[in-house]
Amino acid sequence: MTRSADFRAHVRQWCADNIPADWRRTQTGIGERDFVDFQRSWFATLHGAGFAVPHWPHAWGGGMSVADQAVLYQELAAHDAPRLVLAFVGIHHAAATLLAAGTEEQRRRHLPAILDGEIWCQGFSEPEAGSDLASLRTSARRLGDDYVVNGQKLWASGASYAQWCLLLARTDPDAPKRKGISYFLLDMASPGVQVRPIRNAVGDQHFCEIFLDDVVIPAANLIGEENAGWQVAQATLGAERGMTMLELAERLGCAGFRWLVQAAPTDDPVAADRLAQLEIEITGLRAMCRQLVRDVEAGTAGPADASIVKLFYSELLQRLTDFGAEIAGLDAHTALAKPPSSGWESGSWVLDFIGSWEWTIPGGSSEIQRTIIGERGLGLPREPSAP
Amino acid sequence: MRTTDLAELHGELRAVAADVLARGRVVDWSRLAGAGWAGLEVADGLGGAGATFAETALICEELGRAAAATHYLGSAVLAVGVLNTLQDSAVRNDLLSGIAAGWVRVAAVLDPGFTVSADRRLAGHAAFVPDADGADRLLVLATDHTGAEVAVATDGLTVTPQPVLDETRAVATVAADGIEVPEPLRFAEDRGAHRVRDRAALAVACDSLGLAEAMLAATVSYAQTREQFGRPIGSFQAVKHACADMQVKASVARALVREAVAALVHDDAEADAAVAMAKSYTCGAAVEVAGKAMQLHGGIGYTWESGIHVYLKRAVFNRSLFGSPAAHRQRLAQRY
Repeated sequence: MTRSADFRAHVRQWCADNIPADWRRTQTGIGERDFVDFQRSWFATLHGAGFAVPHWPHAWGGGMSVADQAVLYQELAAHDAPRLVLAFVGIHHAAATLLAAGTEEQRRRHLPAILDGEIWCQGFSEPEAGSDLASLRTSARRLGDDYVVNGQKLWASGASYAQWCLLLARTDPDAPKRKGISYFLLDMASPGVQVRPIRNAVGDQHFCEIFLDDVVIPAANLIGEENAGWQVAQATLGAERGMTMLELAERLGCAGFRWLVQAAPTDDPVAADRLAQLEIEITGLRAMCRQLVRDVEAGTAGPADASIVKLFYSELLQRLTDFGAEIAGLDAHTALAKPPSSGWESGSWVLDFIGSWEWTIPGGSSEIQRTIIGERGLGLPREPSAP
Repeated sequence: MRTTDLAELHGELRAVAADVLARGRVVDWSRLAGAGWAGLEVADGLGGAGATFAETALICEELGRAAAATHYLGSAVLAVGVLNTLQDSAVRNDLLSGIAAGWVRVAAVLDPGFTVSADRRLAGHAAFVPDADGADRLLVLATDHTGAEVAVATDGLTVTPQPVLDETRAVATVAADGIEVPEPLRFAEDRGAHRVRDRAALAVACDSLGLAEAMLAATVSYAQTREQFGRPIGSFQAVKHACADMQVKASVARALVREAVAALVHDDAEADAAVAMAKSYTCGAAVEVAGKAMQLHGGIGYTWESGIHVYLKRAVFNRSLFGSPAAHRQRLAQRY
């Protein structure tokens, strides 16, 4: 047996032994407390096996080869493992930011804590700074060894459970808008931080508003240079795109498509044709993700490759769940809840379809992705800025 | 061969192809053979390069990119493909070495519409056979009296050119009404004929991939320079986002073609499905991309002179050749 086949067999056995058999049923319709507990316990289980942060450097508890990571995510998807929802920002964005731009002290303070279950959220968007993120207004004023922060953040996923927040705030109001932003680590327990969940279109309260009223952040929690926050954010935002997209693509290809075939009247030639079209697109997505992972590793990825994958995934997820809702018919409307730890295609098709806008809007909307592909990928001229 | 060596070889092959094709859309058979493309997949011992379908796929892409008028599809990709799948024989080897040297041009007839009787009489009819007109010999797949698929190499068929809107392709009807033919050639394995048809479909998908990428490049270049309302039209979101969608389609097509080529070269169990996916998606996407290219070029794009119609017609022709997208999706759906 090859080493890679060995590892696959190992992960398969681990999945069979460790994925709670009936987690979908027991996790459907649960309260917030149970959801958080389940997420923490699943993270600890993965971490115990060395599967929670395989993408981190070896010194910090990771160091798995890219090929093995791909196998790991394929198998977790194939076995319909719960998804890491609450740990996501911590193990991907926070870790990538700390590793790329943090000090040794900041890394030592936070990376082990993330492995112990510290939950992070992202405080980037604001009411007046969505797609035009660089126009953010939350201010951070230097006062001795501290910064005093005032403003409001929006769409911070998981903020009501988070202990820490990746925060972008304006430190130089007079500089051009991308040059006056700094990047902070905010302790969510600081006085003056107030979190209010926002109910989203599927009825969940996962994303939140964060109100910041004279919040004091020690200067030691600044990441990178003052006023260089935009560059830090740009460098680390896409850091996780390759491998996390690979996992999502595998989930779509395994569980998602399987449930769709089960639900579809495959003897109807129209339904069969649409299923085949979706299978083709999923296969193309999976192949693009594998290539993206290889190219990121080799340093040969194009400037818009991650955007191409994100855009295609989001809209494919929407088409697939739309088709699921269509063929499942009125019965699908009686599935009033889905397990919050499931993938974006849970088989509760109507909820999945409504929830698919959580992919086409956040993280750079599909419109923004098309602009990135056109400008950075194809070299088309930028739109003139408004005066 | 190591991956990096292979990447270098492919890079060179692509550069040479671009160079040859830059000299004009029409590339005759002797120049094709001279460039070494006719015998690319012919064994070293028979005067060929001993390459695989991975290299052939690359040439197909470049021919699509240039919308080149050549006999490569019928007389190299398909003819050599059929011959390489047959049992070893003097007839087979003579044809292969003749093709590699450029002395003989063979066209393959893959339609399942021919039969050959026990006393070697061939009967049947096929249409839209690539590069059959003017070929020195035809290689016809036929069902023999035992029900097995065999190949017949003959020059006695009635070949009638079929003019089509896509002027870059030469196709013809081929008919036989009980003519006597030489001893049929047998496939080396049961699924030989099947694999040859997969290869035909995938070669056309590769052509459509190159064609789509060429149309995207031409459109981006036009949108960067053409100005309206005082700015390049590529700065308008309506145009920019349409180009982005063309890019996404081309990227998905490239991923599917890459997978299918690898599956075919390694003779994977899943090669059938991979080819059906690549053919269905890529040939559909190429029509959309070429159509969008015509749209974004505006009035100029609709003129004969712009040449975009050449690509659009070829894309539409490719989509129908060797199985429509719907037919390939039907093959896939049989697995559900």
